Amino acid sequence: MRTRQPEPHTLAGAYALDALTGTDRAHFEQHLARCEQCSREISGLWEATARLAAAAAIEPPPGLTARALAAAEQTRQLSPLTRQTPARHAAMTGLAGAAGARAAVPLRRPWMPRLALAAAAACLVAAAIAGVAAHTAAHQLGEQQLRGHAIAAVLAAPDATMLTARITTGGTAAIVMSHRDRSLVFTAAGLRPLRSSQCYELWLMGPAGDKPAGMLPGPRHGMTGPVIASGLQPGDHLGLTIEPAGGSPHPTSAMIMVLAL
Amino acid sequence: MRTGGSHLSPYGGAGAGEAPGADLAALLGEVARGDRDAFEAVCHHIAAPVFGTVRSVVRDRCQSEEVAQEVLLEVWRAASRFDADRGSAMAWVMVIAHRRAVDRVRSEQKSAARELRAASHAVAYDEVAEKAEANLDHERVRRCLGSLTELQREAVTLAYYGGYTYRQVAALLGVASGTVSTRMRDGLIRLRDCLGVKR
Repeated sequence: MRTRQPEPHTLAGAYALDALTGTDRAHFEQHLARCEQCSREISGLWEATARLAAAAAIEPPPGLTARALAAAEQTRQLSPLTRQTPARHAAMTGLAGAAGARAAVPLRRPWMPRLALAAAAACLVAAAIAGVAAHTAAHQLGEQQLRGHAIAAVLAAPDATMLTARITTGGTAAIVMSHRDRSLVFTAAGLRPLRSSQCYELWLMGPAGDKPAGMLPGPRHGMTGPVIASGLQPGDHLGLTIEPAGGSPHPTSAMIMVLAL
Repeated sequence: MRTGGSHLSPYGGAGAGEAPGADLAALLGEVARGDRDAFEAVCHHIAAPVFGTVRSVVRDRCQSEEVAQEVLLEVWRAASRFDADRGSAMAWVMVIAHRRAVDRVRSEQKSAARELRAASHAVAYDEVAEKAEANLDHERVRRCLGSLTELQREAVTLAYYGGYTYRQVAALLGVASGTVSTRMRDGLIRLRDCLGVKR
């Protein structure tokens, strides 16, 4: 008999609400694995919490489903659990009702941060475009607006593909590219700040050599870009270097990011 | 039944004939076999409740979008693990969604600052309801939440819509944590019975 802990059964509601953490959760799950009745109860409570979820439904952002479909294209599905399958994925297979859901919620997986970054980039790119649009609405036609249109065109291209990369000196980049439009949109988060005598410069690198693809503006709220680069050729790589302010016609320092496009 | 604009009301109306929930379970079976059209249909069913729930917990729109996308992809990935004998498809999806949302919030929670800052009932049901699309589920849930005691209702909604742990809820409400855990269970049981959830 444990006297310090609450009676496990009384934690069923908190568990169903994901309101248990750490040892509270582990303790309850141990109990659950041995308690068929609790498992049935949790299943019923989850039906109730699903109604709470349904009641909170709000219009999802446009593109959410499209991005999930695109991501699914590149994501292998889990095989079904069979009687012979060791319960590795579902450590708590004993959980009636819980088992399915538990199995589907493993801990961190390596692809998650990349996917999350891609979604974040898409969201931030959209925000940046909204900013450009708002800006140009007030200032009539201008370079900004044209740039905004070009960026929007890449994002909306039917073959738009998102890639992410880590920058060796710090930060992460997200790229949306369209081979049809021969263009890409570059954004980055958390780039290391540079001295005023330096700048980040993008390169399109192909068999014909390295072409400057634009210099990055200074960060705003930790975000850099979006920057559009055109003239993309099949088989190109995108590179990033630190150059003297004003940029260089050819890279003069080591690549801090190289990404096959 | 691939399209039907019923995604804002995943449970459909009472006596609406074929239950959309059964559809969703069948669709998940097709998703498990790699059917992309079925996955798209599933997304149409679940995107609104998934995004609404994630948003209520995570708050930040960009982060909510990220988490919601992770949830949809997880549904694709893990569809073969859904077992209709053990609960409804929507419950399975929403457990994934809510867990991911609270995981996101808790991984970013560096200190107790958040619990104190949010001591207001910023996440109380009314606020969620305000943003929620008008739908049948909303009406029923509102009515049933109204049948709970105040403490039960606050405990349940702070945990679910606010993503707080039961110990945090206890701190917010100035009540013993044992009391909160009991009220959460009693409240959910009452909610379940009021909603006529089939098990």
